[in-house]
Amino acid sequence: MSYKWIGAMLIVGSCGGFGLSITLHQKQEEAMLTQLCRILDEMLWELPFQLTPLSELIRHTAGSTKGVLRAVFDGLAEQLDRQVLPDVQSCMEAVLRENALTFPRLRRMLLLLGQSLGRFDLSGQLKELTSVRELCGQELKLLQSDRDTRLRSYRILGLCAGAALVILLI
Amino acid sequence: MICAWKELLSILPQWLRTQAAPYEAELEELRLRCGRPPELVLGTGSKWGTETVSQEDLNHCVNMASRYSPWAAATISRGYITAPGGHRIGLCGEAIVKDGKLTGIRTISSLCIRIARDYPGLARRIHFRGQAMLILGAPGWGKTTLLRDISRMIAQEDTVAVVDERQELFPPGFPTGKRMDILLGCPKCQGIETVLRTMGPDCIAVDEITAQEDCQALIHAAGCGVRLIATAHAAGMSDFRRRNVYAPLRESRIFDTFLILEQDKSFHLEEIYP
Repeated sequence: MSYKWIGAMLIVGSCGGFGLSITLHQKQEEAMLTQLCRILDEMLWELPFQLTPLSELIRHTAGSTKGVLRAVFDGLAEQLDRQVLPDVQSCMEAVLRENALTFPRLRRMLLLLGQSLGRFDLSGQLKELTSVRELCGQELKLLQSDRDTRLRSYRILGLCAGAALVILLI
Repeated sequence: MICAWKELLSILPQWLRTQAAPYEAELEELRLRCGRPPELVLGTGSKWGTETVSQEDLNHCVNMASRYSPWAAATISRGYITAPGGHRIGLCGEAIVKDGKLTGIRTISSLCIRIARDYPGLARRIHFRGQAMLILGAPGWGKTTLLRDISRMIAQEDTVAVVDERQELFPPGFPTGKRMDILLGCPKCQGIETVLRTMGPDCIAVDEITAQEDCQALIHAAGCGVRLIATAHAAGMSDFRRRNVYAPLRESRIFDTFLILEQDKSFHLEEIYP
């Protein structure tokens, strides 16, 4: 009897934990996108002001980030310094292959950033960066809309799924 | 002879490196046109590569030369960038024009890479006693190379301020003179005024006088008692006299020594207006 209850509690707990992990994952992605928006803002200020070469700019902006994003930006700066791949997009793709990102929105945004960098004129470069910044802001807004309700429902769904599984098994 | 050959090869795609590598001593220019084989301009004539240059190859060269930051090169709006080692890359393609001014290049269709070479001691037999020297020659005849060595020679004794707008006179690796100050990337007319005011030079060296403003700045500097060395596009004295852009220089008679280059890279001095 007690084994049954322990088993049931474990099932409910693990399903609830799964719901909770989805919640945390979403929160992390939101934090990453916020950081990316900040980086893009910094790049937009810095570019016309000092015309900093890209690898220095990337390294400078990476200094204010942490976690996966820091690893991606450090990796990108290293790739750019190595001067092997033909363009920034290829460098970004190579870095994303090395750093497996589990955040789909962030990954899409970083690929877009890679495509946008390396224009031949400053105004074009700034326009491209601005549009990536806008898209990033939109993604962030989308993620933040009804966030609390959505995240609560993930947790409750996890617990309910666990309970349903217990009922079925018992 | 000094040439930043490794730096040149490092900006080329791999397949092009192997084709250019055997011509280290004689390659003068590398012309890349999208959809055509590369043209290797040697001292003795042109040779054509075997493969076709693609858009990706052109972008590769520009990205490597500018460290993936072509927009950061202020000179891109003037149609060229300077690669590490002082090699000048001329760009051609779809231009971006804003308010009637060229601001950049959107799509690149051809590149002209001029290989920078330094021959220390080349100017040893030139005895420049005058106040101002103008080096005349057509493109590719060695004006910049001579200017580099003459200014280096003068800088052993006097203070020389070099206004190096295109950053190709003294790239890293090329020896500079003992008393030499180099202003990089600044337009010539502003640069001449700046070094005149701030560095107190005995001599100012500038490459390629191509505009009336540059001529006016030189005349102003000559009026301040500074010695000058400059280069100008002209295939001889008669060509120099024919060109309108140099009219202020002719009228002001600031240059008393002319170093005239020939196509075979030989040169002779002409001293006038004694």
